[in-house]
Amino acid sequence: MMMAQFTVNLNVNGDDCSVSVEPQTTLLGVLRDQLGYNGVKAGCEEGDCGACAVLIDGKPVTSCLVLTASAEDKKITTIEGLADGWQLHPIQQAFVDNHGMQCGYCTPGAIIAAKGLLDENPKPSEGEVRQALSGNLCRCGSYGKMVKSVLAAAG
Amino acid sequence: MISQEFDFEAPSALPEALALLARHGDDATLLSGGMSLMPMTTLGLVQPGMIISLNHIAELDYVREDGNELRIGALTRHADVAADPLIGAHAALLAEAASLIGDVQVRNRGTIGGSIAHADPAANYLPAMLALGARLRLQSEAGERSVEAKDFVKGIMTTAIETGEMLTEIAIPKLAAGTGCSYQRLVRVEGNFAIVIAAAITEPGRKAARVGLGNVAPGPVLVDVSGHLGNGLDDAALAAIGDAAFDAAAEAASDLAGDANYRREMARVFARRAVQSATDAADAG
Repeated sequence: MMMAQFTVNLNVNGDDCSVSVEPQTTLLGVLRDQLGYNGVKAGCEEGDCGACAVLIDGKPVTSCLVLTASAEDKKITTIEGLADGWQLHPIQQAFVDNHGMQCGYCTPGAIIAAKGLLDENPKPSEGEVRQALSGNLCRCGSYGKMVKSVLAAAG
Repeated sequence: MISQEFDFEAPSALPEALALLARHGDDATLLSGGMSLMPMTTLGLVQPGMIISLNHIAELDYVREDGNELRIGALTRHADVAADPLIGAHAALLAEAASLIGDVQVRNRGTIGGSIAHADPAANYLPAMLALGARLRLQSEAGERSVEAKDFVKGIMTTAIETGEMLTEIAIPKLAAGTGCSYQRLVRVEGNFAIVIAAAITEPGRKAARVGLGNVAPGPVLVDVSGHLGNGLDDAALAAIGDAAFDAAAEAASDLAGDANYRREMARVFARRAVQSATDAADAG
């Protein structure tokens, strides 16, 4: 069965773009496979792990659970949208400085979750950081240093 | 990746959505946040012929006062329910239930209407809905009706929503000032579904108290514990409240998180805790 194609307008990292998708195409799929934002990671693809987190209209969401066709006109920010040229975003720099990762696979999603938190709450407590990262699984177990990184970024 | 194929519509107004629902009947599945529907579709647990996305129907996303009630649009996201000042002031139990759902990503996308209509026995809202005495507005192209929260769930993930109907609004009577609320859950891992939920309300002056239990039966269960408050919450009263919760949990199921008897015992413990805490809050005014 040939399914209908939908044209969907998105703004990704400040750039307007138009993508052609099938109904079942997830936002994760479009970002990685059509638009080349491979910093968005595919993990469980069931909404549990948070590796695919992006900001939609400024709020962290798992992109594996969003149908692209339902995201018309949304403003998406991926990990690629945080740095200013070669200048890392302060949260990214804090993850580097504090070794907030081991293998790095969950890192983009964790940084996106941290960005969502710090935009809303610039001076979170450690407990609030832990809450905000609770949807981002790290199989290396680097949670302690991830939390330390986010607190360092908050200053 | 979702390997299933389905048709897709994204109406931007409610009448358009209801017309699509009338035309496609049981072949259509409504998508709001997709926090359950998307994983279930990915895993092949459901095979929707058509998905109708409600995400662009802005008229379903609201919280407003209407006399003695709050009215909440079905598309209101959990994070907005948790942070809404009206809900915080007049139905704090609901804000608490929303704040404990899943993780941040789930709360930013998932909706109150989607969660209630999905009717997972372990989900957060329904026990609070029972304690609050909520009414659910079901609309179809042919008309609309209102269903009491206590009559809404018919079985596991089965509700009073008929073919062609959509849950569009939740109406909640405002709590009187000084009402005590307490939302207690047994959960092993942050972000997981609860093993047992107890959502309690004690009215000012201990006039009445009730506790909604979750995940101890196919649907939520309401236990009226007003009769146990008279002489203060002494050990005998708490024991009686616990017994009532244990009895109400007779249909508890077993799964990897705990067997049926464990759930019933935990219903006893968490109902006591919730009623104690709600009553302390009511006494403090």
